[in-house]
Amino acid sequence: MDLAIEAIQLEKTYPGGVEAVKRIDFHVEAGEVFALLGPNGAGKSTTVGMLTTTIVPTGGTARLAGFDVAAKPLGARAVSSVVFQEPVVDSALTGRQNLELHASLWRVKPHEAKARIEGLAETLGLAEIVGRSVRSYSGGERRRLEIARALLSHPRVLFLDEPTVGLDPRIRAELLDVIAGLRDRSELTVLLTTHYLDEAERLCDRIAIMHRGRIVALDTPEALLAGLGHELVELRVDGSAESALASLRERGVAGEDAFAVGSRLTVPLHDRSSQQTIAAVHELGLARAISAREPTLDDVYLRLTGDSLAEAA
Amino acid sequence: MTSLDIAVLSVRRVRRRSLRPLRTLALRRFRLTASTPRELVVPLLTPIMFALIIAPSLKTALHTGAAYEAFVAIGTVGLLIPLNTMFAGLGVIVDRVSGAQRELLTAPISRGLLVVGNLLVALAITGLQIAVLLAVSVVRGIHFEATAIGAVWFVAAAALFTIGMYGMAEILASRVPRQEEYIARVPAIAILPWFLAGALFPITALPHFLTWVAKFLPLTHALALMRYGLLDDSTGLHAIWGLSDRAAMAALSLAVVAGFALLLIATSIRVFSRSAVR
Repeated sequence: MDLAIEAIQLEKTYPGGVEAVKRIDFHVEAGEVFALLGPNGAGKSTTVGMLTTTIVPTGGTARLAGFDVAAKPLGARAVSSVVFQEPVVDSALTGRQNLELHASLWRVKPHEAKARIEGLAETLGLAEIVGRSVRSYSGGERRRLEIARALLSHPRVLFLDEPTVGLDPRIRAELLDVIAGLRDRSELTVLLTTHYLDEAERLCDRIAIMHRGRIVALDTPEALLAGLGHELVELRVDGSAESALASLRERGVAGEDAFAVGSRLTVPLHDRSSQQTIAAVHELGLARAISAREPTLDDVYLRLTGDSLAEAA
Repeated sequence: MTSLDIAVLSVRRVRRRSLRPLRTLALRRFRLTASTPRELVVPLLTPIMFALIIAPSLKTALHTGAAYEAFVAIGTVGLLIPLNTMFAGLGVIVDRVSGAQRELLTAPISRGLLVVGNLLVALAITGLQIAVLLAVSVVRGIHFEATAIGAVWFVAAAALFTIGMYGMAEILASRVPRQEEYIARVPAIAILPWFLAGALFPITALPHFLTWVAKFLPLTHALALMRYGLLDDSTGLHAIWGLSDRAAMAALSLAVVAGFALLLIATSIRVFSRSAVR
């Protein structure tokens, strides 16, 4: 198995005792698109910071394409590129100058760099504007420039740290198409951090759900969803959701994987039918609102952490 | 291929590997500086005003000779260098605040090169500004008595002092989170020593205690060396060392300025490399 990223018991405690990442283990195979999913403060960006050598781990080991990030940081940096959460470009320079700067620092030969810049500008729809000052770019154009820049050095590992945060819906959709296109590059391994479920579900082969510095689940999106069955019932209760949940379990309507958060109660159905379950709930007089639907990754996250991902983000 | 050939090729390869990123970083800094021309012009204004307006006025008011104007013209170089290097240090904070530094920190290069790349541009721009200042002084009628060897003393002193002051600017920029706080510290670092270092009058004119303080300032040594080089005037060196051998005093002062440059730039690389990562 050819591993592009390995994190073994990786941890980061900031001065003052804030434990941002708590001994996490994961690996990403070459060519895989992998997501770290979780709300702000879950430890995703700190993990990426450690993997990209801008944050010093306080424990554990991490390797990029076999290069230990602590012992061989230059090797690790040479095989990777990052698209940061915030726009990170020199606005006073042109798009081309930004690209040339990256190519030179990553030691792409000048004639190769020229050809790659032309190719990427064309692919990412920047050909018309690459000669302009970045100051005049829209948010989406800047993001595309940053992705072009990150791909210039033909990295083996590409980090996309919350790449769509702060973008308007149209630009975000446009950018997701660009990122989806990266899946065609079989030699490229992508680690994406996000708190958007749809991004993780659409783009990634596997997802690690992070919560308060720990990985609480790691699997393919399908496997994570399969844990909750094909359908679930969600109800809102007036009184205590916990005692309502206990009643439903007692009656055999809810299984051990049913969970309550606030006034919301979620019951995975597995082999039960939604009609039977809804009828049983009505019979008990527990719910003021009830509906059946397919499970989402938010339900997976909610069950594992007790927080809604959308609300926590 | 002999083992010597292989060794030579390896050295060339290593040098090429370091030089290309260094050239790239310096080019980036230069382009960013050139995109805001005020960074080039503003540091020049105060020294030129001193050399061309205040020095002649002082000469008239104090009934001194033409030599005083030349004395002050060199003294203003001692203001120009700290002002310019401190302005250059602002670029480090701008890089950090704008986020551009993060991209550079993930590049497969030694982080010390980021400091050296900035330093090269600070040196080049300071050199250009000193040349402009001296050219304007000559046009204004100020006379310098420069020989080839004297010019070497002058350039060595100016270059080393610039390196040291840029190191100081990098350290401050790495330690101070915001531009406002950085700017607030500039007068204490760039201007205060200038009043004590014999820029406008010999350090022997200071109270005895302050004369001793002045002898420990790198700027005092740099100015004495620059006057020795460009005016063939060793009184500044003599005021520091009290020796009769001019070349020996110049060498000692050069060693002080070189030590200052080496210490500050090495410290700045260390501070930057440590503070840039969390």
